[in-house]
Amino acid sequence: MKIEHFLEKNDIREVTIFKQLVLNGGKISYTDMLDYLTVAKASLDKDLESISFRIQSLAGQVHINYDGQSISLTMSDEFSLQQIYQLYLNQSVKVNIIRFLFKHQEFSIVQLTQELMISDSSLFRKIKELNSYLKEFGIKIRNGQMHGEELQIRYFYFQFYSYIEDNLGSSVSHSDKQIMQMVQAVESYLKVTIEPENRQRLDTWMLISKNRINCKDKKYTYLRKQMQPYLADTLYQKIRIIVLRYFSRYSIEVDEEEAMVHFVFLLAFPILNEHDFHDYTLERDRRAPIATIDTYIVETIIIHYKFRRLPYMLEREMFYHLSHIHTKLYFFQGDIEIYDYEEMLVKEQQFTGRNLVSFSNTLLDVSTSKFGINNVESNSLLKVGLLKYISLLANITFKMTTILQVGIDLKMEAIYTETLNQLLILNMRHINGIHVEAYQSGKVYDLILTNEQPAQKEHYGKTKVYVLSEILSSFDMKNIQRIVQELNS
Amino acid sequence: MKVVIIGASFAGVAAALEVRKNNSDAEIILLEKQLTLGYIPNGLHLYWENKISDLDSAYFITKKQLEKQNIHCYLEASVEKVHTDRKVVEYIYQEQEEIITYDKLIIATGSSQLSQKISGSASENVLKYKRHHEAQTALAKINDSQSVAIIGGGQVGIEAADLLSKQQKRVTLIENMDYVLFKYFDKEMIQPLQQKMLEQGIDLRLNQTVSAIEAEGEQPVTVRFGNDSVTSDTVILGVNVRPDLHFLDEHIKLHMDQTIAVDRYMRTSVKDVFAVGDCIQLAYGDGDETVYIPLVNNAVRTGIVAAANLSEPKMAFKGSLRTIGTFLFGYYIASTGITEAESMFTDQTVKAYRQEVCLTSLPDSDTVTIKWVYDAISHVLVGAQMISKSNILEKINTLALAIQTKQTLEELQQKDYFFHPSFTQMIATTNLVSWLEERADENEN
Repeated sequence: MKIEHFLEKNDIREVTIFKQLVLNGGKISYTDMLDYLTVAKASLDKDLESISFRIQSLAGQVHINYDGQSISLTMSDEFSLQQIYQLYLNQSVKVNIIRFLFKHQEFSIVQLTQELMISDSSLFRKIKELNSYLKEFGIKIRNGQMHGEELQIRYFYFQFYSYIEDNLGSSVSHSDKQIMQMVQAVESYLKVTIEPENRQRLDTWMLISKNRINCKDKKYTYLRKQMQPYLADTLYQKIRIIVLRYFSRYSIEVDEEEAMVHFVFLLAFPILNEHDFHDYTLERDRRAPIATIDTYIVETIIIHYKFRRLPYMLEREMFYHLSHIHTKLYFFQGDIEIYDYEEMLVKEQQFTGRNLVSFSNTLLDVSTSKFGINNVESNSLLKVGLLKYISLLANITFKMTTILQVGIDLKMEAIYTETLNQLLILNMRHINGIHVEAYQSGKVYDLILTNEQPAQKEHYGKTKVYVLSEILSSFDMKNIQRIVQELNS
Repeated sequence: MKVVIIGASFAGVAAALEVRKNNSDAEIILLEKQLTLGYIPNGLHLYWENKISDLDSAYFITKKQLEKQNIHCYLEASVEKVHTDRKVVEYIYQEQEEIITYDKLIIATGSSQLSQKISGSASENVLKYKRHHEAQTALAKINDSQSVAIIGGGQVGIEAADLLSKQQKRVTLIENMDYVLFKYFDKEMIQPLQQKMLEQGIDLRLNQTVSAIEAEGEQPVTVRFGNDSVTSDTVILGVNVRPDLHFLDEHIKLHMDQTIAVDRYMRTSVKDVFAVGDCIQLAYGDGDETVYIPLVNNAVRTGIVAAANLSEPKMAFKGSLRTIGTFLFGYYIASTGITEAESMFTDQTVKAYRQEVCLTSLPDSDTVTIKWVYDAISHVLVGAQMISKSNILEKINTLALAIQTKQTLEELQQKDYFFHPSFTQMIATTNLVSWLEERADENEN
């Protein structure tokens, strides 16, 4: 599922206009925009008109100018594209259906058509559309209720309130004593520290859980099945006690699975910090499915990169992130893609200069096949999982890259060398994992850049030498980058 | 003034009597769903203990006594709907649909053991005996049973386990939590009693959530929990009680747990409608926190408070400490205020101190183990638990009062007391001292 799925076609076009403007430095010609959107000029004009109307309420913060030739965007420094998205989402019928459903648990068609001021038939159509996207979560709206596994319903709401409607947790948590108590209990009983941003996530989750507590006939079939290896887990047992004790204070008969739901959440999202999670890994059953895959994937990465010794803290960090990915894969289905998948892939690739994608795909194949998940194209959870693998690998490679020492030894008049040294250093700044300086004899370098072939072969010892053809040329830069990569691997 | 009270158990009766006391010419009508009123919940236990000769003696008040006070009682009157906008109550009485108007309405419907999660728990073969007629059925059924499964290790469940094992029944007790009576006691405090249960042959299944009961006809009953099950002749449902409030209209605001939201004067969100007893949450501990504490003491006190505030808010409810006291498996146990384990839900830092002290100055003196739970900074007492083989129950009331009046441990040391060597040691049990006693545990760090 994607954020765009909550928007109407024309909304998406309008948002795309904003995005293109941002990507093009705030100004774009009509021709380029028309090409990009593949629409007629009249319809672009209509979109721009509609945009102007929409952003009226944001006067002073966002402004769009268009004159038939070019379109330009100005935004105040504290305003971002994110808020534009929010503006559109807030008015979306589909978003409002989900909001209403969350708040009331149940709706009648009359109630909802009145609330949203739309006709029966368009309400049905919107629900049908929503259901087609909710399918990957394994849930659906039927008879005015959300149907499906309880864990999936809460997980969907959590994603929804984290990415689509982001003001649930922050607005309510401080006034809601019950949620504060629950979070307090988690901290004190589990002896963990919940960092502020994790706290926000936990608040949102608790609020959703509180809202769901009185729903009848909750389903837990899949959860129960997946929980079988975790029934004796120490963390689960502790959460179980918190949950039972908490609800014993109210006239609520709580499901046994309520504790399971929280257990899964706590491990699938960054709620515990790395340190507290590490403490848990020391206690958890290493043969349970998630821990097994965590270890397997870490080992696969180590072998792949031929890391002889991975720093201890880096290995812990890997376990931390991988466990989130794997817990999600093991317990959940579906996800909301908040980042443009393709765009993100391209960025990652540029950034790391290596092809991490194919290796990440291998990792995903391993984990999904071990968990017995069908690798379906449309499954956003797997796409997001892949992105996370890529990010993790990129992160590891950054951290494991040894800094190459590069010396610049230009043979020319001193007045030129100093300037050119500086310029070269500046130019090479974007290359990762190198330290560049003016050559000092007697110091050991991994790469020497010079403008003349050394008279004697042994002049620089065994150090790799690159002779610049034309100082500051892109030709040279490309070659240097290649050499650095070769030296690094 | 016409006051209609729904429910004639402790809360409703207390409210009715208090209204009469305050207002001699009020018209008071009690609507009670059951055939009788004033039955002591779980009177069956009194019978099993041989404290009463038959179930008919398990009454704290009679219809006659109430009518003497000019309180009209309609028995077997089942309320169907309350219309607060019109101030009308619809009910069924002698198979007729009736309506009654009110000036003031007090909802005191109480609670019962029911479970929506345990499939099969609503079956007649699953015994609950809070009410008189239920107790009669249960009594007959249990007389015919050799083995009994009890679901729930709270006060009712443990009492039943004790009494039934004394009748040579084979008892299995299934509890969610990892120890029994967890609402009132910390784990280590209740260990002697739990040990005694095992010695007395109770098959104790802790950490188990019952999912289903299969009870059909005269067949033995199977109780399923986790991947395990127990089969016995009969089963008792001793889970938490819950109110049944299906008759409310949408104007009366409810809490998350579907109990009625009231303020400290027992007023609901609707004018002239009050709620008391087991259908509300009560102020608990410090601050504005409210929790569900269905105890008779609270029912009576909230009934009195509601009655006092009918015309205008006069008397605020002082809050509940969930004080309990009972005798189980040879131990007198009592508790008031919060437990150390429960303190995880407060933002207060509490400390606890456990000591074993002699009860008298005599050589063969018995001891009591007391746990003090107090605020780490101010030393104000917030909770206390006691366990002894001698009857120390009444002492818990002293500590409840100490908590209610926010006494510090130091002030308690100064509390006035009587000395008599046959009944006290040098210092009273409830005056916390740290000498001469067997220090059972210290948690000062």
